[in-house]
Amino acid sequence: MTQNNRERLRQAQADAAKQQRLNRIIGVGAAVLVVVLIAVFVGVLLQNQSQQAVNSSSAITPPNATSDGKAVVVSPGVAKQGAPVVELFFDYQCPVCKQFESIYGSTLNTLAASGDIELHYRTMNFLDANLANDASLRAGIAATCADTVGQYSAFHNEIYAEQPATEGEGYTDATLRATIPAKIGITGDSLTTFQSCYDKQATKAFVTTMGDLGVQDMQTVTKQVATPTVFVNGKNLPFSGLGDPTGLLDLIKQNA
Amino acid sequence: MTLGARLVLGVVLMVAGLLKVTRLDASIQSVRLYQILPWDVTAAVGSALPIIEIAVGLLLVTGTFVRVSAVVGSLLMLAFIIGISSVWARGINIDCGCFSPGAVVDAGQTQYPLEILRDTGLLLCGAWAAWRPRSPFAVDNWLFAPVTEPAEDPDPTIADDKEPAR
Repeated sequence: MTQNNRERLRQAQADAAKQQRLNRIIGVGAAVLVVVLIAVFVGVLLQNQSQQAVNSSSAITPPNATSDGKAVVVSPGVAKQGAPVVELFFDYQCPVCKQFESIYGSTLNTLAASGDIELHYRTMNFLDANLANDASLRAGIAATCADTVGQYSAFHNEIYAEQPATEGEGYTDATLRATIPAKIGITGDSLTTFQSCYDKQATKAFVTTMGDLGVQDMQTVTKQVATPTVFVNGKNLPFSGLGDPTGLLDLIKQNA
Repeated sequence: MTLGARLVLGVVLMVAGLLKVTRLDASIQSVRLYQILPWDVTAAVGSALPIIEIAVGLLLVTGTFVRVSAVVGSLLMLAFIIGISSVWARGINIDCGCFSPGAVVDAGQTQYPLEILRDTGLLLCGAWAAWRPRSPFAVDNWLFAPVTEPAEDPDPTIADDKEPAR
């Protein structure tokens, strides 16, 4: 009888120890799971918030933006009926874009001004990820802020002149908010408006979205993401046909 | 052996996660460059992936729930291998974005075979640790410590007497 009692006690002790072990495992497991879930939740939440913060506070859409938010129109409202829509995908930190701009930029601008084409600039910023900086985004913000004072095209043309010789050095804030505006004659109230827009990063949401939509469209149409890329009426313009800028309009029309 | 496999996979995952966690927007961008997931899903995956990598890495390094975390780590590697093979097959030129936000690179600069080889090695580490989860220096050794039975009567001859004699 005493032995039976002892046995029962021993069994109870063993059961308690097993229960304790189980509780320990479940406890630690649950704690780990909860911590990971909270971390993921907080991470995603912070990420969403940082995007929404830009969206809400004093966000500006450039006046010459297309309604779908994919581009900014150069020489808006002058395109002739049925003129081909030319979309230029570029990144302000991309050296080949600078090269492309130096050869075809003024021709494109002229064609847009004469209404022979409808020219859309689609500013990308994925090079920021390659180069581990944010200069493409800031340059995009600066250019679209210049649109609020009616100087988008002039600003765009001047950015490449300031492109650092070494890819990756990026544009300084001083270059974007002071040097370039001074060069193209943004002064007085316009300068204040422009700089306030740049300092608040008021067009950041627009530029970020423009970049996302551009990457999306390039992936869909060309199966790759690269700048510069030109679309004519939504189709990829093969650069193999590119030659002298004087033949650019014909090439565009052939591919329209 | 398991300790080595655990540490290699764990440290690699932690480093990969930590390098990306401070730049979640770029991490999202690199998920998008793979062009596999729907656009809206990429935001969630891009934000969550670095955090999950750090968590699984920590668990493996400390040896906590080794079997489960090794399985999760192996599944991550499997997913990465599939992802890289997929961009390779489709002729998309990116770097894998494994240890930094991914990027578009020139055709000659892709490292797909090397990246797949590395991830396969890590997958094997994970598989080993999942198969033989026991190793020294692990929280599991405390966590799953067997119940220390109260000392039994050493003499087996009286064992029969212990049966309740009904």
